[in-house]
Amino acid sequence: MHLIQRMKIWKELKRLEIRVREEPSPTTFVDLGQVYINLESYDKALRVAEDGLALFPKATEMKKLLDCARRGLSKQRATELKARLIRSPNPKLFREVAELQMDLGDVAALHQTCQEWSLRFPDDPGAWLLLGQARLLGFYRDLAAREGREAVRCLDRAVEMDGNEVQARRLLGEVLYRVGAVNQSIEHLQTLQGLRHDDGDLLQLLEYVSGLDDKGSDVEQLFNEVEERGSLAHPPVTTAAVTSAEVGVSSIRETLGHIADIPGVRKATYIKGSRALVKGEIKDGRDPFLRIVRVMAKAAYRFGRRLDIGNACKNVADGDFGHICVCVYGEVLAGVQCDEGTDIDLVLGELQEIVAGSLSPVGGVNS
Amino acid sequence: MNAIQDALRDLHHRSGIKGAVVVTLDGLVAAESLDDRYPGDVVGGLASFLLMTLNRSLKEGGLGGCDQFLLHATHGKVILKALDDAYLVCLFDQFADVATVRQEVREVAQRIRMSSRIGADG
Repeated sequence: MHLIQRMKIWKELKRLEIRVREEPSPTTFVDLGQVYINLESYDKALRVAEDGLALFPKATEMKKLLDCARRGLSKQRATELKARLIRSPNPKLFREVAELQMDLGDVAALHQTCQEWSLRFPDDPGAWLLLGQARLLGFYRDLAAREGREAVRCLDRAVEMDGNEVQARRLLGEVLYRVGAVNQSIEHLQTLQGLRHDDGDLLQLLEYVSGLDDKGSDVEQLFNEVEERGSLAHPPVTTAAVTSAEVGVSSIRETLGHIADIPGVRKATYIKGSRALVKGEIKDGRDPFLRIVRVMAKAAYRFGRRLDIGNACKNVADGDFGHICVCVYGEVLAGVQCDEGTDIDLVLGELQEIVAGSLSPVGGVNS
Repeated sequence: MNAIQDALRDLHHRSGIKGAVVVTLDGLVAAESLDDRYPGDVVGGLASFLLMTLNRSLKEGGLGGCDQFLLHATHGKVILKALDDAYLVCLFDQFADVATVRQEVREVAQRIRMSSRIGADG
Protein backbone atom coordinates (compact mmCIF):
# COMPACT_ATOMS: atom_id res chain seq x y z
CA MET A 1 0.00 0.00 0.00
CA HIS A 2 1.31 3.43 -0.95
CA LEU A 3 2.24 5.89 1.73
CA ILE A 4 -0.44 8.34 0.55
CA GLN A 5 -3.11 5.62 0.66
CA ARG A 6 -1.99 4.67 4.14
CA MET A 7 -2.17 8.28 5.26
CA LYS A 8 -5.67 8.63 3.80
CA ILE A 9 -6.86 5.54 5.61
CA TRP A 10 -5.22 6.66 8.84
CA LYS A 11 -6.95 10.04 8.52
CA GLU A 12 -10.29 8.37 7.83
CA LEU A 13 -9.83 6.09 10.83
CA LYS A 14 -9.05 9.03 13.07
CA ARG A 15 -12.16 10.83 11.82
CA LEU A 16 -14.34 7.79 12.44
CA GLU A 17 -12.85 7.18 15.90
CA ILE A 18 -13.74 10.78 16.84
CA ARG A 19 -17.25 10.39 15.38
CA VAL A 20 -17.80 7.22 17.38
CA ARG A 21 -16.84 9.05 20.54
CA GLU A 22 -18.78 12.22 19.85
CA GLU A 23 -21.85 10.86 18.07
CA PRO A 24 -22.12 7.22 19.05
CA SER A 25 -24.73 5.37 16.98
CA PRO A 26 -24.88 1.89 15.44
CA THR A 27 -24.01 3.42 12.04
CA THR A 28 -20.87 5.21 13.25
CA PHE A 29 -19.65 2.05 15.02
CA VAL A 30 -20.35 -0.08 11.94
CA ASP A 31 -18.55 2.42 9.65
CA LEU A 32 -15.47 2.30 11.84
CA GLY A 33 -15.62 -1.50 12.25
CA GLN A 34 -15.98 -1.92 8.49
CA VAL A 35 -12.79 0.05 7.83
CA TYR A 36 -10.92 -2.17 10.28
CA ILE A 37 -12.37 -5.27 8.63
CA ASN A 38 -11.28 -4.01 5.20
CA LEU A 39 -7.80 -3.55 6.64
CA GLU A 40 -8.02 -7.08 8.10
CA SER A 41 -7.53 -5.63 11.60
CA TYR A 42 -10.16 -7.97 12.98
CA ASP A 43 -9.07 -7.53 16.60
CA LYS A 44 -9.75 -3.81 16.36
CA ALA A 45 -13.05 -4.44 14.56
CA LEU A 46 -13.97 -6.81 17.39
CA ARG A 47 -13.18 -4.12 19.97
CA VAL A 48 -15.34 -1.61 18.09
CA ALA A 49 -18.20 -4.12 17.85
CA GLU A 50 -18.01 -4.94 21.57
CA ASP A 51 -17.99 -1.26 22.52
CA GLY A 52 -20.90 -0.61 20.17
CA LEU A 53 -22.89 -3.52 21.54
CA ALA A 54 -22.41 -2.21 25.06
CA LEU A 55 -24.14 1.00 24.04
CA PHE A 56 -26.64 -0.50 21.60
CA PRO A 57 -27.25 -4.06 22.79
CA LYS A 58 -30.25 -4.57 20.53
CA ALA A 59 -28.72 -3.25 17.29
CA THR A 60 -28.64 -6.14 14.80
CA GLU A 61 -25.97 -4.46 12.68
CA MET A 62 -23.66 -4.43 15.72
CA LYS A 63 -24.23 -8.16 16.19
CA LYS A 64 -23.41 -8.71 12.53
CA LEU A 65 -20.25 -6.65 12.88
CA LEU A 66 -19.25 -8.68 15.95
CA ASP A 67 -19.89 -11.93 14.11
CA CYS A 68 -17.95 -10.73 11.07
CA ALA A 69 -14.99 -9.65 13.23
CA ARG A 70 -14.98 -12.96 15.11
CA ARG A 71 -15.10 -14.94 11.89
CA GLY A 72 -12.28 -12.86 10.47
CA LEU A 73 -10.17 -13.50 13.57
CA SER A 74 -10.90 -17.24 13.40
CA LYS A 75 -9.97 -17.34 9.71
CA GLN A 76 -6.74 -15.48 10.42
CA ARG A 77 -5.94 -17.89 13.23
CA ALA A 78 -6.76 -20.92 11.06
CA THR A 79 -4.45 -19.64 8.31
CA GLU A 80 -1.62 -19.16 10.82
CA LEU A 81 -2.14 -22.62 12.26
CA LYS A 82 -2.26 -24.23 8.82
CA ALA A 83 1.08 -22.64 8.00
CA ARG A 84 2.47 -24.09 11.24
CA LEU A 85 0.95 -27.47 10.39
CA ILE A 86 2.95 -27.61 7.17
CA ARG A 87 6.17 -26.99 9.08
CA SER A 88 5.52 -29.27 12.04
CA PRO A 89 2.34 -31.36 11.92
CA ASN A 90 1.02 -32.69 15.23
CA PRO A 91 -2.41 -33.87 16.47
CA LYS A 92 -2.90 -30.85 18.73
CA LEU A 93 -2.49 -28.41 15.84
CA PHE A 94 -4.77 -30.53 13.64
CA ARG A 95 -7.43 -30.41 16.36
CA GLU A 96 -7.14 -26.63 16.73
CA VAL A 97 -7.46 -26.08 12.98
CA ALA A 98 -10.40 -28.50 12.69
CA GLU A 99 -12.21 -26.86 15.63
CA LEU A 100 -11.79 -23.43 14.05
CA GLN A 101 -13.09 -24.74 10.73
CA MET A 102 -16.07 -26.28 12.50
CA ASP A 103 -16.83 -22.95 14.21
CA LEU A 104 -16.61 -21.24 10.83
CA GLY A 105 -18.97 -23.83 9.33
CA ASP A 106 -16.38 -24.63 6.65
CA VAL A 107 -17.30 -28.31 6.29
CA ALA A 108 -15.23 -28.93 3.15
CA ALA A 109 -12.05 -27.60 4.77
CA LEU A 110 -12.83 -29.55 7.95
CA HIS A 111 -13.09 -32.79 5.97
CA GLN A 112 -9.81 -32.08 4.25
CA THR A 113 -8.07 -31.35 7.55
CA CYS A 114 -9.47 -34.48 9.21
CA GLN A 115 -8.51 -36.62 6.23
CA GLU A 116 -4.94 -35.39 6.40
CA TRP A 117 -4.95 -35.74 10.20
CA SER A 118 -6.06 -39.39 10.10
CA LEU A 119 -3.53 -40.17 7.36
CA ARG A 120 -0.62 -38.67 9.26
CA PHE A 121 -1.70 -39.91 12.68
CA PRO A 122 -3.76 -43.05 12.01
CA ASP A 123 -3.85 -44.03 15.71
CA ASP A 124 -5.32 -40.71 16.86
CA PRO A 125 -9.13 -40.87 17.24
CA GLY A 126 -9.38 -37.06 17.27
CA ALA A 127 -10.05 -36.71 13.53
CA TRP A 128 -13.02 -39.09 13.77
CA LEU A 129 -14.36 -37.33 16.83
CA LEU A 130 -14.25 -33.93 15.09
CA LEU A 131 -15.88 -35.35 11.94
CA GLY A 132 -18.57 -36.93 14.11
CA GLN A 133 -19.19 -33.64 15.89
CA ALA A 134 -19.52 -31.78 12.58
CA ARG A 135 -21.97 -34.40 11.29
CA LEU A 136 -23.96 -34.23 14.53
CA LEU A 137 -24.30 -30.47 14.16
CA GLY A 138 -25.75 -31.07 10.70
CA PHE A 139 -28.08 -33.76 12.00
CA TYR A 140 -29.47 -31.71 14.88
CA ARG A 141 -29.90 -28.72 12.54
CA ASP A 142 -31.69 -30.49 9.64
CA LEU A 143 -32.68 -33.85 11.17
CA ALA A 144 -31.18 -35.42 8.05
CA ALA A 145 -30.83 -39.21 8.48
CA ARG A 146 -27.66 -39.36 6.39
CA GLU A 147 -25.87 -36.86 8.65
CA GLY A 148 -26.97 -38.80 11.73
CA ARG A 149 -25.78 -42.13 10.39
CA GLU A 150 -22.43 -40.62 9.39
CA ALA A 151 -22.10 -39.03 12.83
CA VAL A 152 -22.64 -42.39 14.54
CA ARG A 153 -20.18 -44.09 12.15
CA CYS A 154 -17.46 -41.52 12.87
CA LEU A 155 -18.04 -41.54 16.64
CA ASP A 156 -18.10 -45.36 16.69
CA ARG A 157 -14.77 -45.36 14.90
CA ALA A 158 -13.31 -42.96 17.51
CA VAL A 159 -14.57 -45.20 20.34
CA GLU A 160 -13.17 -48.33 18.64
CA MET A 161 -9.76 -46.68 18.35
CA ASP A 162 -9.79 -45.56 21.98
CA GLY A 163 -12.24 -47.16 24.36
CA ASN A 164 -11.57 -44.37 26.86
CA GLU A 165 -12.59 -41.60 24.43
CA VAL A 166 -15.03 -39.87 26.77
CA GLN A 167 -16.41 -37.17 24.50
CA ALA A 168 -17.20 -39.52 21.61
CA ARG A 169 -19.01 -41.89 23.97
CA ARG A 170 -21.02 -39.10 25.52
CA LEU A 171 -22.06 -37.75 22.10
CA LEU A 172 -22.99 -41.26 20.99
CA GLY A 173 -24.96 -41.86 24.17
CA GLU A 174 -26.86 -38.61 23.64
CA VAL A 175 -27.72 -38.99 19.96
CA LEU A 176 -28.76 -42.61 20.35
CA TYR A 177 -31.36 -41.95 23.04
CA ARG A 178 -32.63 -38.87 21.18
CA VAL A 179 -33.46 -41.04 18.14
CA GLY A 180 -34.92 -43.83 20.31
CA ALA A 181 -32.05 -46.37 20.60
CA VAL A 182 -32.29 -46.15 24.36
CA ASN A 183 -30.68 -49.51 25.21
CA GLN A 184 -27.63 -48.81 23.04
CA SER A 185 -27.38 -45.36 24.57
CA ILE A 186 -27.44 -46.83 28.09
CA GLU A 187 -24.54 -49.16 27.19
CA HIS A 188 -22.39 -46.19 26.20
CA LEU A 189 -23.42 -44.11 29.20
CA GLN A 190 -22.69 -46.98 31.60
CA THR A 191 -19.23 -47.46 30.08
CA LEU A 192 -18.75 -43.72 30.44
CA GLN A 193 -19.81 -43.90 34.07
CA GLY A 194 -17.09 -46.49 34.64
CA LEU A 195 -14.60 -43.95 33.32
CA ARG A 196 -15.98 -40.97 35.20
CA HIS A 197 -17.31 -42.03 38.60
CA ASP A 198 -17.86 -38.59 40.05
CA ASP A 199 -19.67 -36.96 37.13
CA GLY A 200 -23.02 -35.81 38.58
CA ASP A 201 -24.40 -34.64 35.21
CA LEU A 202 -23.67 -38.03 33.70
CA LEU A 203 -25.45 -39.81 36.54
CA GLN A 204 -28.46 -37.55 36.06
CA LEU A 205 -28.44 -38.22 32.32
CA LEU A 206 -28.20 -41.97 32.88
CA GLU A 207 -31.16 -41.90 35.28
CA TYR A 208 -33.17 -39.89 32.79
CA VAL A 209 -32.35 -42.16 29.83
CA SER A 210 -33.09 -45.31 31.89
CA GLY A 211 -36.67 -44.09 32.24
CA LEU A 212 -37.25 -43.70 28.48
CA ASP A 213 -38.90 -46.18 26.06
CA ASP A 214 -36.60 -48.07 23.74
CA LYS A 215 -37.78 -47.76 20.12
CA GLY A 216 -35.53 -50.49 18.70
CA SER A 217 -31.94 -51.30 17.87
CA ASP A 218 -31.90 -50.61 14.13
CA VAL A 219 -30.19 -47.23 14.29
CA GLU A 220 -30.39 -46.66 10.53
CA GLN A 221 -34.15 -47.19 10.60
CA LEU A 222 -34.53 -44.92 13.64
CA PHE A 223 -32.67 -42.10 11.87
CA ASN A 224 -34.94 -42.53 8.83
CA GLU A 225 -38.02 -42.33 11.08
CA VAL A 226 -36.71 -39.12 12.67
CA GLU A 227 -36.21 -37.61 9.21
CA GLU A 228 -39.70 -38.63 8.06
CA ARG A 229 -41.36 -37.45 11.25
CA GLY A 230 -39.33 -34.23 11.43
CA SER A 231 -38.82 -34.59 15.19
CA LEU A 232 -36.62 -36.52 17.60
CA ALA A 233 -37.97 -39.46 19.59
CA HIS A 234 -37.05 -38.14 23.04
CA PRO A 235 -36.47 -34.61 24.37
CA PRO A 236 -33.15 -33.63 25.97
CA VAL A 237 -32.67 -33.81 29.72
CA THR A 238 -33.80 -30.35 30.81
CA THR A 239 -36.16 -30.81 33.74
CA ALA A 240 -33.46 -30.79 36.37
CA ALA A 241 -31.74 -27.79 34.80
CA VAL A 242 -35.01 -25.85 34.77
CA THR A 243 -35.62 -26.64 38.44
CA SER A 244 -32.14 -25.46 39.36
CA ALA A 245 -32.61 -22.26 37.33
CA GLU A 246 -35.91 -21.59 39.07
CA VAL A 247 -34.28 -22.01 42.47
CA GLY A 248 -31.45 -19.65 41.37
CA VAL A 249 -33.88 -17.00 40.12
CA SER A 250 -36.02 -17.08 43.23
CA SER A 251 -32.93 -16.73 45.43
CA ILE A 252 -31.64 -13.78 43.34
CA ARG A 253 -35.08 -12.16 43.40
CA GLU A 254 -35.16 -12.51 47.17
CA THR A 255 -31.68 -10.96 47.60
CA LEU A 256 -32.62 -8.16 45.20
CA GLY A 257 -35.74 -7.48 47.26
CA HIS A 258 -33.54 -7.32 50.35
CA ILE A 259 -31.29 -4.75 48.62
CA ALA A 260 -34.31 -2.71 47.53
CA ASP A 261 -35.39 -2.58 51.20
CA ILE A 262 -32.17 -0.84 52.31
CA PRO A 263 -33.17 2.73 53.37
CA GLY A 264 -32.56 5.18 50.52
CA VAL A 265 -32.52 2.62 47.71
CA ARG A 266 -34.97 3.52 44.92
CA LYS A 267 -34.22 1.09 42.12
CA ALA A 268 -32.37 -2.20 42.05
CA THR A 269 -31.65 -4.49 39.15
CA TYR A 270 -29.84 -7.70 38.37
CA ILE A 271 -28.83 -8.15 34.74
CA LYS A 272 -27.50 -11.23 32.99
CA GLY A 273 -27.12 -10.94 29.22
CA SER A 274 -30.33 -9.49 27.78
CA ARG A 275 -32.43 -10.41 30.81
CA ALA A 276 -33.02 -8.38 33.92
CA LEU A 277 -34.72 -8.75 37.27
CA VAL A 278 -35.91 -5.47 38.77
CA LYS A 279 -37.14 -4.21 42.16
CA GLY A 280 -38.19 -0.81 43.43
CA GLU A 281 -39.43 2.11 41.34
CA ILE A 282 -38.86 0.42 37.99
CA LYS A 283 -41.89 0.01 35.78
CA ASP A 284 -40.58 -2.49 33.25
CA GLY A 285 -37.61 -3.63 31.21
CA ARG A 286 -37.63 -0.36 29.21
CA ASP A 287 -36.69 1.77 32.22
CA PRO A 288 -33.64 3.91 31.23
CA PHE A 289 -31.97 2.95 34.49
CA LEU A 290 -31.23 -0.51 33.05
CA ARG A 291 -29.43 1.03 30.09
CA ILE A 292 -27.49 3.37 32.38
CA VAL A 293 -26.30 0.40 34.44
CA ARG A 294 -25.20 -1.46 31.30
CA VAL A 295 -23.43 1.58 29.80
CA MET A 296 -21.72 2.42 33.08
CA ALA A 297 -20.43 -1.14 33.53
CA LYS A 298 -19.18 -1.42 29.96
CA ALA A 299 -17.54 2.01 29.84
CA ALA A 300 -15.81 1.38 33.18
CA TYR A 301 -14.71 -2.08 32.01
CA ARG A 302 -13.13 -0.58 28.91
CA PHE A 303 -11.48 2.19 30.93
CA GLY A 304 -9.98 -0.29 33.40
CA ARG A 305 -8.71 -2.69 30.76
CA ARG A 306 -7.18 0.02 28.57
CA LEU A 307 -5.50 1.65 31.53
CA ASP A 308 -4.16 -1.76 32.52
CA ILE A 309 -5.61 -1.67 36.04
CA GLY A 310 -7.72 -4.79 35.54
CA ASN A 311 -11.46 -5.36 35.48
CA ALA A 312 -13.68 -2.63 36.89
CA CYS A 313 -15.75 -4.60 39.39
CA LYS A 314 -17.42 -1.83 41.45
CA ASN A 315 -18.45 1.60 40.21
CA VAL A 316 -20.28 4.49 41.83
CA ALA A 317 -21.57 7.58 40.01
CA ASP A 318 -22.70 10.55 42.10
CA GLY A 319 -24.87 13.46 40.97
CA ASP A 320 -28.09 15.34 41.61
CA PHE A 321 -29.83 11.99 41.20
CA GLY A 322 -28.07 10.60 44.28
CA HIS A 323 -25.81 7.59 43.67
CA ILE A 324 -25.78 4.86 41.08
CA CYS A 325 -23.80 1.83 42.22
CA VAL A 326 -22.93 -1.01 39.85
CA CYS A 327 -21.14 -4.29 40.57
CA VAL A 328 -19.92 -6.57 37.78
CA TYR A 329 -18.88 -10.20 37.74
CA GLY A 330 -18.29 -11.62 34.27
CA GLU A 331 -21.49 -11.14 32.30
CA VAL A 332 -23.56 -10.49 35.42
CA LEU A 333 -24.32 -6.94 36.59
CA ALA A 334 -26.19 -5.65 39.58
CA GLY A 335 -27.05 -1.99 40.00
CA VAL A 336 -28.80 0.31 42.43
CA GLN A 337 -29.96 3.91 42.35
CA CYS A 338 -30.16 5.41 45.80
CA ASP A 339 -30.54 8.75 47.53
CA GLU A 340 -27.74 10.82 49.01
CA GLY A 341 -26.94 9.67 52.51
CA THR A 342 -27.54 5.97 51.76
CA ASP A 343 -24.98 3.56 53.20
CA ILE A 344 -23.01 3.04 49.97
CA ASP A 345 -20.63 0.49 51.48
CA LEU A 346 -23.57 -1.65 52.56
CA VAL A 347 -25.18 -1.39 49.11
CA LEU A 348 -21.93 -2.26 47.33
CA GLY A 349 -21.37 -5.20 49.66
CA GLU A 350 -24.84 -6.58 48.92
CA LEU A 351 -24.44 -6.03 45.18
CA GLN A 352 -21.11 -7.80 45.25
CA GLU A 353 -22.69 -10.74 47.04
CA ILE A 354 -25.48 -11.06 44.50
CA VAL A 355 -23.20 -11.00 41.44
CA ALA A 356 -20.53 -13.25 42.91
CA GLY A 357 -23.05 -15.80 44.09
CA SER A 358 -25.02 -16.05 40.87
CA LEU A 359 -23.72 -18.69 38.56
CA SER A 360 -27.03 -20.37 37.73
CA PRO A 361 -29.02 -19.48 34.61
CA VAL A 362 -31.61 -16.76 34.91
CA GLY A 363 -35.09 -16.18 33.63
CA GLY A 364 -36.63 -12.74 33.99
CA VAL A 365 -38.16 -9.85 32.18
CA ASN A 366 -36.70 -9.11 28.79
CA SER A 367 -35.19 -5.69 28.88
CA MET B 1 -1.78 27.14 35.49
CA ASN B 2 1.09 26.65 37.92
CA ALA B 3 -1.33 26.57 40.82
CA ILE B 4 -3.23 23.67 39.20
CA GLN B 5 0.02 21.87 38.45
CA ASP B 6 1.14 22.37 42.06
CA ALA B 7 -2.16 21.03 43.36
CA LEU B 8 -1.82 17.93 41.18
CA ARG B 9 1.79 17.42 42.23
CA ASP B 10 0.81 17.67 45.91
CA LEU B 11 -1.90 15.09 45.37
CA HIS B 12 0.48 12.80 43.49
CA HIS B 13 2.97 12.87 46.38
CA ARG B 14 0.43 11.44 48.81
CA SER B 15 0.53 7.80 49.75
CA GLY B 16 -1.07 5.32 47.32
CA ILE B 17 -1.74 7.92 44.61
CA LYS B 18 -0.37 7.11 41.19
CA GLY B 19 -1.17 10.38 39.59
CA ALA B 20 -3.72 13.01 38.74
CA VAL B 21 -4.84 14.79 35.60
CA VAL B 22 -7.14 17.67 34.80
CA VAL B 23 -8.92 16.81 31.59
CA THR B 24 -11.59 18.59 29.58
CA LEU B 25 -14.64 16.66 28.43
CA ASP B 26 -13.27 16.37 24.91
CA GLY B 27 -10.13 14.67 26.20
CA LEU B 28 -7.69 17.57 26.25
CA VAL B 29 -5.22 17.31 29.13
CA ALA B 30 -4.96 20.68 30.86
CA ALA B 31 -2.46 19.60 33.53
CA GLU B 32 -0.97 16.34 34.72
CA SER B 33 1.23 14.73 37.31
CA LEU B 34 1.39 10.99 36.70
CA ASP B 35 3.63 7.98 37.23
CA ASP B 36 5.65 7.20 34.08
CA ARG B 37 3.55 4.14 33.22
CA TYR B 38 0.44 6.27 32.59
CA PRO B 39 0.68 8.54 29.54
CA GLY B 40 -1.37 11.69 30.13
CA ASP B 41 -3.03 11.66 26.70
CA VAL B 42 -4.17 8.05 27.19
CA VAL B 43 -5.65 8.81 30.60
CA GLY B 44 -7.28 11.94 29.14
CA GLY B 45 -8.76 10.09 26.16
CA LEU B 46 -10.10 7.22 28.27
CA ALA B 47 -11.53 9.56 30.88
CA SER B 48 -13.21 11.59 28.17
CA PHE B 49 -14.74 8.43 26.65
CA LEU B 50 -15.95 7.21 30.03
CA LEU B 51 -17.46 10.55 31.07
CA MET B 52 -19.05 11.42 27.74
CA THR B 53 -20.61 7.97 27.47
CA LEU B 54 -21.83 7.99 31.04
CA ASN B 55 -23.12 11.58 30.97
CA ARG B 56 -24.96 11.00 27.71
CA SER B 57 -26.61 7.92 29.12
CA LEU B 58 -27.54 9.70 32.37
CA LYS B 59 -28.98 12.68 30.50
CA GLU B 60 -30.99 10.42 28.20
CA GLY B 61 -32.38 8.79 31.32
CA GLY B 62 -33.37 12.22 32.66
CA LEU B 63 -30.87 12.15 35.54
CA GLY B 64 -28.47 15.00 34.64
CA GLY B 65 -24.68 14.85 34.68
CA CYS B 66 -22.24 12.98 36.86
CA ASP B 67 -20.46 14.99 39.59
CA GLN B 68 -18.14 12.23 40.65
CA PHE B 69 -17.34 8.73 39.43
CA LEU B 70 -15.50 6.15 41.48
CA LEU B 71 -14.16 3.06 39.78
CA HIS B 72 -12.76 0.04 41.66
CA ALA B 73 -10.70 -2.25 39.42
CA THR B 74 -8.65 -5.32 40.26
CA HIS B 75 -5.34 -3.44 40.36
CA GLY B 76 -6.34 0.10 41.12
CA LYS B 77 -9.00 2.68 41.75
CA VAL B 78 -9.89 5.89 39.97
CA ILE B 79 -11.89 8.96 40.98
CA LEU B 80 -13.18 11.39 38.37
CA LYS B 81 -14.36 14.60 40.01
CA ALA B 82 -16.27 17.29 38.10
CA LEU B 83 -14.74 20.79 37.87
CA ASP B 84 -17.60 22.30 35.85
CA ASP B 85 -16.11 22.29 32.32
CA ALA B 86 -13.40 19.78 33.16
CA TYR B 87 -12.73 16.79 35.41
CA LEU B 88 -10.03 15.96 37.89
CA VAL B 89 -8.96 12.35 37.35
CA CYS B 90 -7.07 10.73 40.19
CA LEU B 91 -5.53 7.25 39.92
CA PHE B 92 -4.65 5.36 43.08
CA ASP B 93 -3.66 1.84 44.00
CA GLN B 94 -6.07 -0.88 45.08
CA PHE B 95 -4.98 -0.66 48.74
CA ALA B 96 -5.72 3.03 49.19
CA ASP B 97 -8.51 3.95 51.57
CA VAL B 98 -11.38 5.27 49.49
CA ALA B 99 -12.74 7.61 52.15
CA THR B 100 -9.34 9.26 52.67
CA VAL B 101 -8.69 9.62 48.95
CA ARG B 102 -12.20 11.00 48.38
CA GLN B 103 -11.48 13.69 50.95
CA GLU B 104 -8.07 14.51 49.44
CA VAL B 105 -9.56 14.69 45.95
CA ARG B 106 -12.35 16.95 47.20
CA GLU B 107 -9.81 19.33 48.75
CA VAL B 108 -7.64 19.43 45.63
CA ALA B 109 -10.70 19.93 43.40
CA GLN B 110 -11.63 22.88 45.59
CA ARG B 111 -8.10 24.32 45.26
CA ILE B 112 -8.21 23.91 41.48
CA ARG B 113 -11.62 25.56 41.23
CA MET B 114 -10.39 28.49 43.26
CA SER B 115 -7.27 28.99 41.19
CA SER B 116 -8.48 28.13 37.74
CA ARG B 117 -10.38 29.86 35.02
CA ILE B 118 -11.85 26.48 34.02
CA GLY B 119 -14.32 26.22 36.88
CA ALA B 120 -16.54 28.64 38.70
CA ASP B 121 -15.82 29.75 42.25
CA GLY B 122 -16.15 26.78 44.56
